[in-house]
Amino acid sequence: MTSYTVRDWVTIGLFGALWGAIELTLGSVLHTIFPPLTDTFLTGTAMSGIGVAIVLTGKHFVPKRGSAFFMGIVTAILKLLGIGGVKIGPIVAIILQSTLMETTLWMLPASRWTFVIAGALAVGWTLPHMLIMPQILLGKSAIEAYNRVIQQGSQWLGIDPSAAFSILGGLLSIQLLIGAAGGWGAWGLGGAVADRLGRRTAGTSEDSL
Amino acid sequence: MSPWGYLLLTGWAALMAILTKGPWLVGLVLVELALGLAWNRKGLEPLCQIRFWALVLGIVALGPFLLGEPDTTVGPYHLSKEGLVTGAEMASRASALALAFSLGIGSLSLFDVVAVFDRIGLRGLGFATALAMNLLGTLRDMATVTLQTIYLRGGMRRPGKALRLFSISTVANTLRYGDEAVNAASVRAFDPNHGRPSPLPLRWADLGLAALMAGYTGAILLLGAG
Repeated sequence: MTSYTVRDWVTIGLFGALWGAIELTLGSVLHTIFPPLTDTFLTGTAMSGIGVAIVLTGKHFVPKRGSAFFMGIVTAILKLLGIGGVKIGPIVAIILQSTLMETTLWMLPASRWTFVIAGALAVGWTLPHMLIMPQILLGKSAIEAYNRVIQQGSQWLGIDPSAAFSILGGLLSIQLLIGAAGGWGAWGLGGAVADRLGRRTAGTSEDSL
Repeated sequence: MSPWGYLLLTGWAALMAILTKGPWLVGLVLVELALGLAWNRKGLEPLCQIRFWALVLGIVALGPFLLGEPDTTVGPYHLSKEGLVTGAEMASRASALALAFSLGIGSLSLFDVVAVFDRIGLRGLGFATALAMNLLGTLRDMATVTLQTIYLRGGMRRPGKALRLFSISTVANTLRYGDEAVNAASVRAFDPNHGRPSPLPLRWADLGLAALMAGYTGAILLLGAG
């Protein structure tokens, strides 16, 4: 971490705070309107899409390895220390999504499409998260969690519950699309802000990520 | 307890909550309650929240209806005893995990978090976290002002453009605020890569806690009920 300057850490803190502020305000409202046991798809997907866009925009300004992951860690700590108590599911999701984004950005060359893939993978994690976390947190069997997701997806998409693969595919497609849009938008937003502030968009340099 | 003790408590209790079942899970909740009463009553705050009890009692109440095969009839309802037991176990696991985090990591102050990061060689991350925590209110104010400005200038008539303007202005203002934070840190000669970390020694309470955890884990392993 010795390559990180004070400005890098400040920027990580700023974008972690932006994601954290959204989680603590909009996230809390959505979690109240849609309690975890009734609907996690809408809340999880919406919050992940916004979070992904914020972190990937931040990556423009700290194009160093690990920065997206650290933004996720800062957000998770804000969520942990924030009002409303500890919510384990979203905290685990935030850390895993930032890890997914960081890994993708690490493995692929920096480009708009890399941001799109990173965003899609991070938001796409929401579906497996909905299947795995209830099993870990509550000890529910995977089949029960699967049934719940199918029932919710059936209501959302208006498809008969017997077409389980179509429902899962539909839900995953929606999430991947939202994540991809977040990544696409983040690339544009980062560039627009850098132009406005007269800063070089380091995130666009091919060898910088 | 020192921050190490709180971190250890969360790690151990979360692992136990996932790995154990039946009476050991109930025992874990009781151990956490005892620790909370002895060391950290603030960490028992989730027990005072209606949301917590709604979740826990909801799981127990719905278990006989939704889980397992119905084998008992109570009035007009066909219930499952297995479902009741499974529901109770799920509720215990949820309680154990909630307490693991609220008694442990959730009880750390911002100062503790910064000190732990400093101690493990991530001084910069501690600094970033502290900055983020202090910035939350400012960010909210900046976003509100930006939104009101766009609204007063009629920007809401074109929602797409309003969203774009809002996003650019918010991120740009945040980065400008960051410049001030960088200047303030530079003036104070803050260096995230150098300097001796502040000491964060273990306390006797940490060792007592570790002994208790080792005893409980040992009992589970010896009796083979994990």
